[in-house]
Amino acid sequence: MNDLSELHEASTPSSRMRDEIRRTSDASRARRMTVSRIMILLCGLALAVSAVPLVALIYELLRLGVPVIDKTFFTTLPATPTLIAPNATGGVSNAIIGTLVLTLYASIMAIPLGVLVGVYLSESDSKLAAALRVISQTMAGAPSILMGLFAFSFIVHDLNVGFSAIAGAFALAVLMMPVIIISTEIAVRGVPNTLREAGLALGAKPHKVSLRIVLPAAISGIVTGSILAVSRAVGETAPVLLTIGGGFINSWKPLDPVSALPLTIFENAKSEWPSQRAQVWGIALVLVAFVFVLSLSARIWAARKQRVNN
Amino acid sequence: MSETQATTSQPAPSRDPGQSAMQLKNVAVAFNGRVAVRDATFDVAKNRVTSLIGPSGSGKTTLLRALNRLHDLTPGAKVSGQILLEGTDIYRGDLTVTELRTRVGMVFQRPNPFPTMSIYENVVSGLRFNGIKKKSILDEAAETSLRSAALWESVESRLKVAASNLSGGEQQRLCIARALAMDPEILLMDEPTSALDPIATLRIEELMTTLKERVTIIIVTHNMQQAARISDDCAFLLMGEDRAGELIEFDTTEKIFNNPNDSRTLDYTLGRFG
Repeated sequence: MNDLSELHEASTPSSRMRDEIRRTSDASRARRMTVSRIMILLCGLALAVSAVPLVALIYELLRLGVPVIDKTFFTTLPATPTLIAPNATGGVSNAIIGTLVLTLYASIMAIPLGVLVGVYLSESDSKLAAALRVISQTMAGAPSILMGLFAFSFIVHDLNVGFSAIAGAFALAVLMMPVIIISTEIAVRGVPNTLREAGLALGAKPHKVSLRIVLPAAISGIVTGSILAVSRAVGETAPVLLTIGGGFINSWKPLDPVSALPLTIFENAKSEWPSQRAQVWGIALVLVAFVFVLSLSARIWAARKQRVNN
Repeated sequence: MSETQATTSQPAPSRDPGQSAMQLKNVAVAFNGRVAVRDATFDVAKNRVTSLIGPSGSGKTTLLRALNRLHDLTPGAKVSGQILLEGTDIYRGDLTVTELRTRVGMVFQRPNPFPTMSIYENVVSGLRFNGIKKKSILDEAAETSLRSAALWESVESRLKVAASNLSGGEQQRLCIARALAMDPEILLMDEPTSALDPIATLRIEELMTTLKERVTIIIVTHNMQQAARISDDCAFLLMGEDRAGELIEFDTTEKIFNNPNDSRTLDYTLGRFG
């Protein structure tokens, strides 16, 4: 009985196929292992090459940045070094406050509007929506100096507001909007249609379905997109260059000229005083830390929200 | 219910025509001019379970979704014929679409509780969408509908917990409770157990037989045993030559499964195709 079944198995087409596969596989194993090792090596090499500049940058930032940061760096206004006191650079409190003020005003302008437009784009098939989508995608790729130029000619000049926090915030808001619109649209489109239908089937009006069901379900993507937009705006120099006026005062008022961290880097890097040029690294370090905290919080927030939803 | 005799033009003779919850007259649904289902004419009797059966592509779900105007949002969708809810044409009569949907509830194929809401919020969401804010009313509706959906005992102590923590079967019963909270006259169910295991399926089926005392149920099902077990009346649909679904036969479930008028109905219920 046993012999018979073995004989039967050996002669079936499938077992012959299996033998053929095993033989071919054994013969090419050594070659495939070599190719595999080379590929892993190449991947490791590519990783090292791309990591080197990044690590070097962070190293330099810490090496040169940490020594110039002390308490007065955060708390005092900038001073001009003199021949008697060549190291009296003062702090950058005005730039830190300025960056916070600009970010705050820009977010207040851009986030609510951007989210609403994004929701509209995702829920509408109209020609207006299609046009808005093309405009936001184009704007997302537009050079940021353009926003600065626009805010300068429109707010600073035409409306005669002058160099001010509000003009800079406007430029940054225009820069942030496309990012927020696009990420909101993607997040809202990701909400399953069955949830919309469930809401409609309960007699909810379409705007209530959007606001009470779809938006909460998409909130994690929207928040992540908004924080990324903010962290992009924080580091921008060009839009604030032509708009905020680089004021040497600590002010939260929208109409006052303010300073900003990237602008201070730009100005100090051109200084004739070595002490001011050295200070640039400290400012850069603060800026990078700020952006790092922002994007980290976006990631943590999104991950936590994801866990709650699942 | 007895089904003594029948002719195709006069289905379900054992029912009083005055007791219709919904009447369909030559209902057809087309998408961008392409007909998906046509010739649906039958009366849905009050406090009974009516099942729509037929193979894939026969237009069961399409027909069901016409009954609470869910096709309204699909561009290019057109519903023709007449659908009467207590005598009012739901497409042309003076009945707003939101009012219709509060009277004709729906349970979907996959459980779809609102993921950002708690169990309690899910149940009362329909009431809130329609402007009801009084807590005593919401609390009472939540308890009553969760009890009706046989879910109260197991969730009573964790009403504030996210609905996504429930099992698939519990989520579907939550969706039933959510629909019942609106106190609808008709409950549409689109293959409500196809995503559930056999035990959860059984519980939902038991639920339907008790629920029909207060609400008329129209259910789409792929599962013929299910249709035979739970429904009182049965509409059999089939895809025609031009790929459009059409109503082949409507009668009491007993007649459809034992002694149908059309040989195609018999072939389908015996499992010869589909």
